[in-house]
Amino acid sequence: MLKQTACDGTPSFISVVSRTFGALAALVPFAVSADWKMNLQPANSSVAQQMFDLHTLITVICVVIFVGVFGVMFYSLYAHRKSKGHKAAQFHESATVEVLWTIIPFFILLAMAFPATKAVLDMRDSSAPEMTIKVTGSQWKWGYDYIHDGFGYVSTLATPLAQIHNSESKGDNYLLEVDNPLVVPVGKKVRVLITAADVLHAWWVPALGVKQDAVPGFIRDAWFRADRPGIYRGNCAELCGKEHGFMPIVVEVKTQADYDKWLAAQKDKYGVGKAATAVAVIDTKIYTREELVAHGKTVYEGLGGCQGCHQPTGKGIPGQFPALDGSKVVNGPKDGQVALLLNGKAGTAMASFKHLTDKDLAGVMAYTRSTWSNKSAEFAQPLDFAKARNGGVLPAGTTASAVTPAAGIARAPNYVKPPAETTGGRDNSEVRRVDINTGA
Amino acid sequence: MASVPHGAPHTNPVHGDHAHDGHDDHHHVPTGLMRYVTTTNHKDIGSMYMWFSFAMFISGGIMALLIRAELFQPGLQILEPERFNQLTTLHGIVMIFGAIMPAFVGFANWMLPLQLGAPDMAFARMNNWSFWLLPPAAILLIGSFFVPGGAAAGGWTLYPPLSIQAGMGMDMMIFAVHIMGASSIMGSINIITTILNLRTPGMTMMRMPMFAWTWLITAFLLIATMPVLAGAVTMLLTDRHFGTTFFNAAGGGDPVMFQHIFWFFGHPEVYIIALPAFGVVSQIIPAFSRKPLFGYASMVYATASIAILSFIVWAHHMYTTGLPMAGQLYFMYATMLIAVPTACKIFNWLATMWRGSITLETPMLFCLGFLFLFTLGGFTGLVLSLTPVDIQLHDTYYVVAHFHYVMVAGALFSAFAAVYYWGPKWTGWMYEEKLGKIHFWWSLIAFNVTFFPQHFLGLAGMPRRIPDYNMQFAEWNMVSSVGAFAFGTAQIFFIIIVLRMISGKSGIRAAAKPWDGAEGLEWTVPSPAPYHTFETPPAFK
Repeated sequence: MLKQTACDGTPSFISVVSRTFGALAALVPFAVSADWKMNLQPANSSVAQQMFDLHTLITVICVVIFVGVFGVMFYSLYAHRKSKGHKAAQFHESATVEVLWTIIPFFILLAMAFPATKAVLDMRDSSAPEMTIKVTGSQWKWGYDYIHDGFGYVSTLATPLAQIHNSESKGDNYLLEVDNPLVVPVGKKVRVLITAADVLHAWWVPALGVKQDAVPGFIRDAWFRADRPGIYRGNCAELCGKEHGFMPIVVEVKTQADYDKWLAAQKDKYGVGKAATAVAVIDTKIYTREELVAHGKTVYEGLGGCQGCHQPTGKGIPGQFPALDGSKVVNGPKDGQVALLLNGKAGTAMASFKHLTDKDLAGVMAYTRSTWSNKSAEFAQPLDFAKARNGGVLPAGTTASAVTPAAGIARAPNYVKPPAETTGGRDNSEVRRVDINTGA
Repeated sequence: MASVPHGAPHTNPVHGDHAHDGHDDHHHVPTGLMRYVTTTNHKDIGSMYMWFSFAMFISGGIMALLIRAELFQPGLQILEPERFNQLTTLHGIVMIFGAIMPAFVGFANWMLPLQLGAPDMAFARMNNWSFWLLPPAAILLIGSFFVPGGAAAGGWTLYPPLSIQAGMGMDMMIFAVHIMGASSIMGSINIITTILNLRTPGMTMMRMPMFAWTWLITAFLLIATMPVLAGAVTMLLTDRHFGTTFFNAAGGGDPVMFQHIFWFFGHPEVYIIALPAFGVVSQIIPAFSRKPLFGYASMVYATASIAILSFIVWAHHMYTTGLPMAGQLYFMYATMLIAVPTACKIFNWLATMWRGSITLETPMLFCLGFLFLFTLGGFTGLVLSLTPVDIQLHDTYYVVAHFHYVMVAGALFSAFAAVYYWGPKWTGWMYEEKLGKIHFWWSLIAFNVTFFPQHFLGLAGMPRRIPDYNMQFAEWNMVSSVGAFAFGTAQIFFIIIVLRMISGKSGIRAAAKPWDGAEGLEWTVPSPAPYHTFETPPAFK
């Protein structure tokens, strides 16, 4: 099951053709070196293999026809030159050849359509999946929800800014590395439900043969069954704004045993299945402004990704992303900013950031209210965010029960799923923040 | 200017038709700038279209070079990502609507009346208006770089919701598209009316030059699709400013609906660009093969079939949007079908050359370059038509390579061919053959160095529209950027050739019919063509 070549397990004709030409290509020194890559990535799923083989077959057919047709043209250019004294014939029509060169291409196309149709039927058959993961694209990160296991997390670019701005040397996986990859078991039919929170994105992993646009407000599906364990990398493939080139996709395919271990660890981390009472939930501590500002700075520049749009200067990008420096919201009543951070603003790039912890959000708020020319007296405590999430009141049994995000908040991305995971999200954020700090 | 100054003495010794000069003297037409603002002469307007097109070609080219400079190496060097996106967006719009389309409208203005034996275009004043709409549109587009938020950055396809997030640069782009669309529609009405009504007696439809046929069909495509584009961008505008939700699921709309509407325009648009190019090539290959066009009737039918098919294949641009399986299959089959009439045209051109008496002057070289590269682009189009393969290649550099092979090789090379072929008729001077050939080989090689490696980049997995990339793509990107700068420089060389031709520095006067194998009424008038031609319909044998 793990080593399928074509979709039915036996090497098809195309597959053989493809392998043969693949082997020929390997003789070209360019093709085998790590760079100067010239062909599709090696397939790691039956669908990707069919795409690979189909591409090889069609390319070979096209090259043969091309060489044939232009062989004729170059012969004509050589033999029928005026400089060689060739006198022009005056024929200018022939119904027979016209019919011939209409019909022959038609049959060649028909021959191409068969394997292509077979591949489409296979590619679109997402029935009977063995597991389902929801993928949500937002500017500029991917959210992965293991919807049957009750947890989810966000995956963002892990390449340090210093590499992008050429002040550090670039690693092998430059721009193709993330903090939290999607993890799946090998050999299982994985169905991905793909949607978006703001604009179009496209979830693309070449080795798995999946590219599906993420459309806000709609759910599309795709599937893959990875043949081999390993790490597979891809990019967002639909222009989604200024950081479009900086939201890679990394899929880690593990053996079933390793996957089970990982899954257990994740469930533990997110508190899935534990009694709600066992989890400490709400950060009720009252922080000083300085503490929050210092914490908020790290969130603003790192995990929160705020400066991606609003810029380190807080000036935003005129006409695109509003300035925070001197902003009415940032210098206004705290409730307005609390609501904006939690809910985002419909129709703009300002997404909901409720996947961050209360402390992260309070920190960002204190930071933006104390930096640049902003000197707002008011700031919020994590507790304010906890209340706002719960419709304005502190949930009953504050320290002992979970917080349910306020009902009625529109379809902003909610990566932290059932109640118990709010804490999980917090833990997750802590872990990721450490990664970013040590990484940078 | 490529046109003859009004009333200037004709210096061509072959020219003997002085009645036109005498006639001109009765008018008190403005001179200087006002002449061009108020002109209704198809030759003046044709020349203006071409100069406008060249200016846009240079603007779009500078944008392309900025893009390639940023992509020369991994990492961000000279452009911020937002500026990069603005440049890719405007490069597309400026090249398509500003450079390629006006160039061929310019050829149509200059050549259709000459080829059909008509005194001018059917609606001379509307002709003036359809040209003068273009500069304001260009100012809106280029000016949008300097407004707060910069130019539109959502790609030339303007997909929402990204285009709804954008700043006022997007509104300027929408307005510019409206204006250019109106200009195109008026131009098309003019071309259709001219071709259907102003042919000289005896020139039946099936005896028209191929250039007229391809433009007739193109003009119908324009009239059918430009209003669709106008509708799509108007819906964007109202979504942006008036609270409608055509493309917003939260209000019952659908972002993908925009793509359907856009590509219902966008795919025929590809043929709007390609068909007049086919027309030019169909004029030039017979001339330099000294043999009539093979399969004239089948060429006409193939052109019409391509035009009709172009309306029923639009969603092959949308295989990854989540079309139903039946949709993916249907659009795949329909798209593959386009290969049939296109192959038919290629074979007809080859059969025209077969057993001809071929010479390789610059216009012919550019047509052969067109044939070779356009066919290559056609084949990669066939590869992309297959849904499963397109899933891997959609929105990668493979697609970028594909459409540049079709657009640059298809439209630009044939536009160069047209300038070298008809330029002597416009200016009264020949270009310098040696320089023309250098321009051809330089362009051909640089073009391939630029775009051929992009196939590899796309196959290896590099998405398009990204300002920075993984190290594995570094080598081919560097090659591609070097090629792009070489291609850009070749066009500076081109303008020098053209200026030397216009100013007569080439030193070789053009005969009324400088190409011994050329056919058509345009070669029966002197070179340069007098300001007024065919005031009485010429005889057509």
